[in-house]
Formats: sequence, structure tokens, C-alpha cells
Amino acid sequence: MEYKRILVPTGGGDADEEAMQLACRLAKKGKTKILAVYVITIKRALPLDAEIEAEIKEAELVLDHIEEVAENEEFEIDTDVLQAREAGPALLDEAVERGADLIVMSISYKRHFGQFSLGDVVPYVLKNAPCPVILYRK
Amino acid sequence: MPIAPRRLGAFDGGVKAVYNKFWLLKWRTILATREIWRPKPGNNIFRPRRIKRFRLRRILGVAAVFSAGYGNVGSSIYYALGIVALAALGATPVALGAAGVLFIFTALAYAEGTAAIPEAGGSASFARHGFNDYVGFVAGWALMLSYIVTISISAYTIPPYLGLFWEPLKSSPLVSTAASMGIVFSLMVINVIGIKETSFLNVGAAVVDIITQVSLVVIGFLLLFNGPALLHSIVSNWPTPGNLVMGIALASLAYTGIETMSQMAEETRRPEKKVPRALILLIVTVLVLFAGISIVTLCAMSPQALATEWARDPVAGIAANLPLPVLREILQPLIAGLAATILLIATNAGLIGISRLAFSLGTYNLVPAVFKRVHHRFKTPYISIIGFSLVAFLILLPGFFVPNVFEEMGALYVFGSLLAFMFAHASIISLRIRKPDMPRPFKIGGNIRVKGRDLPLTSIIGLLATISIWVVILVTQPYSRWVGLAWMIVGLVIYYFFRRRQRLRQSIPEPPGL
Repeated sequence: MEYKRILVPTGGGDADEEAMQLACRLAKKGKTKILAVYVITIKRALPLDAEIEAEIKEAELVLDHIEEVAENEEFEIDTDVLQAREAGPALLDEAVERGADLIVMSISYKRHFGQFSLGDVVPYVLKNAPCPVILYRK
Repeated sequence: MPIAPRRLGAFDGGVKAVYNKFWLLKWRTILATREIWRPKPGNNIFRPRRIKRFRLRRILGVAAVFSAGYGNVGSSIYYALGIVALAALGATPVALGAAGVLFIFTALAYAEGTAAIPEAGGSASFARHGFNDYVGFVAGWALMLSYIVTISISAYTIPPYLGLFWEPLKSSPLVSTAASMGIVFSLMVINVIGIKETSFLNVGAAVVDIITQVSLVVIGFLLLFNGPALLHSIVSNWPTPGNLVMGIALASLAYTGIETMSQMAEETRRPEKKVPRALILLIVTVLVLFAGISIVTLCAMSPQALATEWARDPVAGIAANLPLPVLREILQPLIAGLAATILLIATNAGLIGISRLAFSLGTYNLVPAVFKRVHHRFKTPYISIIGFSLVAFLILLPGFFVPNVFEEMGALYVFGSLLAFMFAHASIISLRIRKPDMPRPFKIGGNIRVKGRDLPLTSIIGLLATISIWVVILVTQPYSRWVGLAWMIVGLVIYYFFRRRQRLRQSIPEPPGL
């Protein structure tokens, strides 16, 4: 299978690195573009274009690290910070706009009320994604 | 040191920049001529200089924008009918109809303004672009008053609806006002912490609200409508000319909340098309439903009963006066629960709206930076939320002692809203004069040509009408006059000292070597 554009959402989780490595191994040099995105979710009490310094700095750090991971795999990737109300629709919107043909998502092992939980974003992406999705759990 | 944000498309000086701009404009023209792509104001990409990868994701569509607007405008009917009936008596539907015409003009002005300037500030943004910072601040400050009273009045009318389940919530001013304050306090805490709320909730609430209101109108027409009796009720309870004018002035209360849609523009996909569509849909829905509900209300009860017993919960009065006991038993708790939920959403929307507006004004240096301070953990503008909630408490406070505070609150709401509407109309006219060539994806029709400029007739009439109604409120309502003017004066004082301090800061020479 050959992918032309792979979208890798990152959130600063401990499985982000492996997800990026996986994306790099699925990609073909010179033929596949990899895009890593970080979504800053803005609370409704703030305008969508509100700049929250701490959040932007964190996004920068995460994406810088992901870029390094990709460089180690000898890949040059595009990175983007998005600001949205909800991460799920923003990721899918980005996937459609960029024409992504694969989404590689990482998740952490989380428990809510004693039960394993995927959170809100992953089920939304799995349900509505216009392309195949690979879910990576460390 | 923080660096000022910039927008993509803003070029620095230099030959290369001019060359780049030339090619960009040339390509834009080619693409626009072939209808492949057109520049839209909503396409602005916000990028702080320091951060290269930072974009806004707009995902809302017509349904989400409409439901947010209806959540706010549609909620007004749950208390506006009673306030209007206090002055207009039998002429309540007439007063609502007359104010409805003004609402159409105002909505059109917002459609043009929002499509051209899709920012969070609403009429404050229009005024800033149409006039200057100072006028933008005055419009924004008036809008803030409107939002604060939205919070107070919506919270104040929730307990009477819930009075069906526990009588003191309706009958006791002490319990009722305390409950209202409790609601505002809870929402304040929730918003400081920052709940996760999806636009789906707004859409769902608006759909259920519209279905219930339509059902009520249909059931009311089938079971209660009696043409001759209605006509007799209107004619025999026709108010004095002064009261009718006052009724029309207060009826504009029913149509406030349109600002919410304007605020949503910045997160709407292709706002230049979708916001005007949502606004037109809102105009039609609101006018049809409000006309139906006001007629059914007068069929269900006398204007006197509407203005006294059911003043704060008029829609509950319709359900309580239905002739069939089975329908009464089903609809009464349904209406009580639904109205309370809708009003709760409207209270919350007011709180969210004012904090966004304050942040937006802070971004353009129109209010002190404290208004846009974000909590380090919750990432919410906690000072704005707490501060404005406290002002809402103050407005609710007379509820413990003064019996007719409800009408006063309504008039104060009209004072703030009309001032904002006035600036919206004036800004649209000013933008047509000062920036005739700015992109206007939605342009109001019916223009008159004055000195080579197309001026929208609806905005001119709307401006004159809002000024007239505002003056009526100012002259006849002492509470609104003094509280409203005091609010505006406090704002102007803050603005004066804030800007003066800023100028002083800017004029301090930088130390050598920096």
C-alpha cells in the first residue's frame, strides 16, 4: 500500500514518538508527505483567535520534538498548530483539506472511573474519518 | 517581550515585498476572474509573528450559527411577553409586530457587517472599523451592559417557571431572587473551570425549543383561538398612545440576542455566506413564532393576567390555561422544564458572550489587559467571568426588596441593546461612506444614492427608530436612565485613564542600547 499524505495528530502523549516512527516507516521517501498537527482547543469563553502563550509554547515544544523524531528517521515533515473549539472536527477538517489518505493516531492508556477510555477525540475520528485510520497504543 | 500579532497578507516594506504583493494580486485577479477562488474576509489566517504554524479551524455551519442565535433570541419570548404586556396591554401583538420590523432591519445590518467583518466583537467591531477606537469602545461597553442584563434577566425568570414544581420559587421574591443568584453563581464557577460544551448541545436545544413552541402555537390555535373574542380583548384593552410607544420600546427586548450570531462568525466556515443565511432563517422563524405565541397568549388569558400573574412566566400561562386537563398535565411540566433549560442556556450564553467580548476589546487595547487575563490552569478568562457575574448579582439584588424590578431590568436590557444596535446601523452607514470598496459578500438592498455613495435605507430607518426608542426609554424609565448612564460613564472613565496610561507608556523613551 502506498500513501501520499499521512496526517499524524500529536498531543504531547508518550506514544506520539512511536506513532511518528510508524508513519515514517509506512511512508515512502520522496513520494509521501507527512503532516504532524497539534490542536489547541479554546474554551468557549474566549474568542477563537485568543492567543494563550502557555498553550502555544507547549504546542511548539511538542512539534519540535516530533520533527526531531522524524529527522532521526530521515524524514522531513510539515508541522502545523491549529486552534479550534473541538479537536476531533478540526483534525478531520485538516485531513480533508490536506487530502490525507491515512491518519496515524497515538493514544495513551487512560482510565475513567476504573474503565479503559479512548476519550472523545479518537472515537470521533474513527467514526467520521474520510480515510483509513491507524490507532497506536503504547 | 510579546510581539504584536500579524495577519497573513500584511507585507513588510522593501522592493521584494512590493514584487511579491504584485504577483499575489495578479494571481488573485486571475483566479477571481475564472471564478476558481475569491478572496473572502473569512479566509484571513491568524498567525502571530513568533509562531509560524498557527491556524484557526472554523467548523460551524448554518445550523450551529442559527441555533446559537435562536438560543438567545428565542429565549427572550419566555419573559418578553410579560414585560411588553405591562405597558402595551391588549396591543401586545401589535407592539411585538412593530418591533419585529425594526428587528428585520437590525438583522440585515448585522448580516452585512458580520459578512464583511467576521470578528468576535459584533457591533463593537463594526464601530471600530466604521468610526474609530473610541466609538468601538462605547459600542462594546454598551454591549457589555446588554450581556450582563441578559445574564440577570434570564436567571431571574428561571425560578418562576420552576415554580410549578415548588411554589415559593414563583411566589416568594426572597426565594426566587436567591435562586437566580445561585444560578448565576453556579454558571460563574462552571465557566471559570471551563466545561466542555459542544455545538451539538445548542443545536439540540434549539430544535426541541422550536418544536415545543410550534406545538404550543398549533395547540393554542386549535383549542383557544377565537377571532371575535381576541379582537374584543385587544380593542377593550387598547393602551394609551404613550403606553403603546412604551410597549413597542419594550418589545425590542424580544429580539435582542442577535449579537450572539455575530460573535459566532469568527468560527464559522465561510462566514460571508453562512452567517447571512442563518440570520435570514432566524428572522423568519422568530417573527412567525413570536406572532403565533403572542396571539395564543392573548387567547389564553386577559392582558391584565398576563401583565401580573404570568408576567415572568407567560409561556407557562398558556399551558396552564389550556381547556383540556390532559394537555395541561402534559404540557405544564414540559414547558416549565424546557423554558428553564432554554433560559439557563441563554444565561450561560450571556456569560460566555461577555467574556469573549471583553477579551476581544482587550486584544485591540480598548479595555485594560486584566479583562483578557487567562487562568493558568483552567485556560479561561476568569477575571472577566467573575467580575461581570458580580455586576449581574448587583442588578439582581433589588429583586429582594423591589416588586417591579422585572420591568426595570427589561428596560435596562433595552437601553444597552438599543445602544449597540444604534452603533451597528450607524457603522454600516459609515462603512458605506468611508470604505465603499471594501468586500461586502452580503450587501443590503434598497439603497439611496447620496453624493456618490449607496446608503442602505433599512439602516437609516433602523438608526432613526432605535434612537427614538432609546430616547423614549431614557426619558420614561428612571432606573434604566441612571443605571445605564452610570455604566456608560464608568466605562468612559476607565477608557480615558487606560488610554492615557498607554500613551504615557508609549511616550517613555527607550533606554539607549535597546
